[in-house]
Amino acid sequence: MKIHKIAALGAVAALALTACSTDGGSSDKPTTAAPKPTAPASERSITFWVAGTDTNDDMRKWLADTFKEKTGGATLKIEQIEWSELVPRLQTALPNAEQTPDLVEIGNTQAPTFTSVGAFSDLTALLPDLGGDKVGPKSFVEAGSYDGKLYAVPYYWGSRYVFYNTEVFEKEGVKVPTTLAELNEAAKKLTTDDRSGLWLPGQDWRNGLFWLFANGGEIAKVDGGKWVGALSSPESQKALAQVQDIFTNGTHAPKDGLDEEPWVPFNEGDSAMFVAPGWARWSVKEDVKFAPFAVPGVEAGTYAAGLAGGSNLAISAKSANQDLATELLKIIYSEEFQTQLAKNGMGPAVSEFNSLMGDDAFAKAAIASAENSKLTPGSPGWASVEAAKLMEETFGKIAAGGDIVAIAKDADARLGEMLN
Amino acid sequence: MSDVLARAPQSRRAAAAGRRPAPTASGARRATAIAPYLLVLPVIATMVIALGYPLVRQFVMSFQKYGLEQQFGKAPEWIGLDNYKAIFADPAVWAVITRSLLFCVAAAGLTMVVGMAVAVLMTKLVRWLRVVVQSVLLIAWAMPVIASMTIWQWLFDTNYGVINWLLVKIGLDQFKGHSWLIEPVSFLTIAVIVVVWMSVPFVAFSLNAALTQVSGEQLEAAELDGANAWERFLHIKLPTIMPVVMVVSLLQVIWDLRVFAQIYYLQQAGGVASETNLLGTYIYNLGLGQGDFGKAAAVAIFMLALTLGLTFFYVRKLAKEV
Repeated sequence: MKIHKIAALGAVAALALTACSTDGGSSDKPTTAAPKPTAPASERSITFWVAGTDTNDDMRKWLADTFKEKTGGATLKIEQIEWSELVPRLQTALPNAEQTPDLVEIGNTQAPTFTSVGAFSDLTALLPDLGGDKVGPKSFVEAGSYDGKLYAVPYYWGSRYVFYNTEVFEKEGVKVPTTLAELNEAAKKLTTDDRSGLWLPGQDWRNGLFWLFANGGEIAKVDGGKWVGALSSPESQKALAQVQDIFTNGTHAPKDGLDEEPWVPFNEGDSAMFVAPGWARWSVKEDVKFAPFAVPGVEAGTYAAGLAGGSNLAISAKSANQDLATELLKIIYSEEFQTQLAKNGMGPAVSEFNSLMGDDAFAKAAIASAENSKLTPGSPGWASVEAAKLMEETFGKIAAGGDIVAIAKDADARLGEMLN
Repeated sequence: MSDVLARAPQSRRAAAAGRRPAPTASGARRATAIAPYLLVLPVIATMVIALGYPLVRQFVMSFQKYGLEQQFGKAPEWIGLDNYKAIFADPAVWAVITRSLLFCVAAAGLTMVVGMAVAVLMTKLVRWLRVVVQSVLLIAWAMPVIASMTIWQWLFDTNYGVINWLLVKIGLDQFKGHSWLIEPVSFLTIAVIVVVWMSVPFVAFSLNAALTQVSGEQLEAAELDGANAWERFLHIKLPTIMPVVMVVSLLQVIWDLRVFAQIYYLQQAGGVASETNLLGTYIYNLGLGQGDFGKAAAVAIFMLALTLGLTFFYVRKLAKEV
């Protein structure tokens, strides 16, 4: 019977354990105290959270070495956080002085969530040292500002453009589209039973926004001091109808797919075009002949405004190492590091280094696309919209062939709730 | 046959009585009365520190307006039962609760049936084959969740999945590019399959271990009395291993109610999050995703009450049996 007793005890313990393991607002327990800022530099260290793999190993090593040299021996620890975990991790780590990273990378659209609650240090006075007016893109500076103060500065930007298979275009007699309507036609024309004209997964709203912005639509706008969802506007509706047409007749991508790894079907010859940030070029197979073009606008000779991808940098307000974190920020804004960003295909935060991205077709498409770029609504509530996957679901329902008037009405109502 | 039916419960009582521990001398018991408490103290202390604090904090938070601003130092505001009123007035919450309960019943029920079948199977196998089955079960069980989820997702991938490829090969052309995750029912069916696949080894091992303890004499006696294999299972084996079945199914109910990783992972791969959320992912999205810790805490407290409610009779029955 002993076994049964232990089993019963185990069950009760497991019940207790599991029942409270879904703690909504976990508070991390303090670990060891950080050394005082007065300690010698060689004994001090700071932590920099980078998101995803965009800051590559060479850049990380250069940062750590340069930091050690410039500060007289302080250590820089760089920790990589996955994009999908970034917001939850920041929510629990930033409020805790013992746990907080000192410098953090944060998605440009995620920044407003934290700037409005006092999570970051005020960097307004530092801006002239970093490059003043040359710091950009401007939409990133805006996303990092709250109440007239600057809390998060641009790190790097990427622009999305179309990659197309030049051989397929030639064989099918399709020219590089110069208007959005031509792009829509090309996508449909190039679609066969086994090939997608344009790889556009149903929940890929970030790329879907090209159509929205090009037609003059918006996700949401401020009306009388409040955010109002704008997907029901005539301009947005026109755009969503075009997107639905592509979902139905111009792609075989999954209706519930996301924007992950769009180069896989491209490499397999299963799609003739895909839209992605510039760094996707390194993922296309060598034997595929391809070239880029910026998503065209409604009128010939114009470009569609797209969603600017990229990150901001901020210093945690709770960090005990404000001085060292500031030093690291200056190193990141130095000519040498900005050059490394540009050479790796990421838009540098100081505009005078843009030319270092090169002058080939890729750089031209990137810069054309970036000049027109827009951001998501600058409301602190936007992170909730992303967390709730509202945009993914809205575009997914459009892709599945739903009624765009009803879908937009529903999405607008939820946007209004979450953004205000 | 009626003879077997009448005798089985009796023999169970006899067996239970036979296993009751012999009474200890009362003097010795008093002298050592404090020792058990000392021994159990570290466990209790750990539980209080590791579980008590978060639980109390969560309970308190469920009565507060607690968002990101509060997380960064603003004093939380007491709002009484407003969080609870808000969540129970929200049809989306009720949908999540219903979905979770159905999921739990389907997954736990299926796991127990399949697990029992595998456990019985293992008692009938020759030694080397049993070792093979056990090894395979052990590998499936030891597989890290995220690693196996990646494989499951590849299997059901819309464009390049083996399942779709096979279905098209056998002539079912409608499965070309079929999206398994887009419909909530099909999404949750796959989630049930995955969860059952991961849970069966534990159930099978536990029940198999219990089955090996069933008295051979009883089975032999029943066989002589003319009971067939099914009757022997139903009237002798099952009642004997009932305490283990109870504990294991209790654990399954708890685990399947709080399932998180599998659902979260599948939601990253496709599907419509708002139509496939179970309690775990819903609380995570509400709290850590959207920063509404107060409401998330309220849902979590409700989930705790639900778990206790569902398992109350189980635990009471268990406590009586031991």
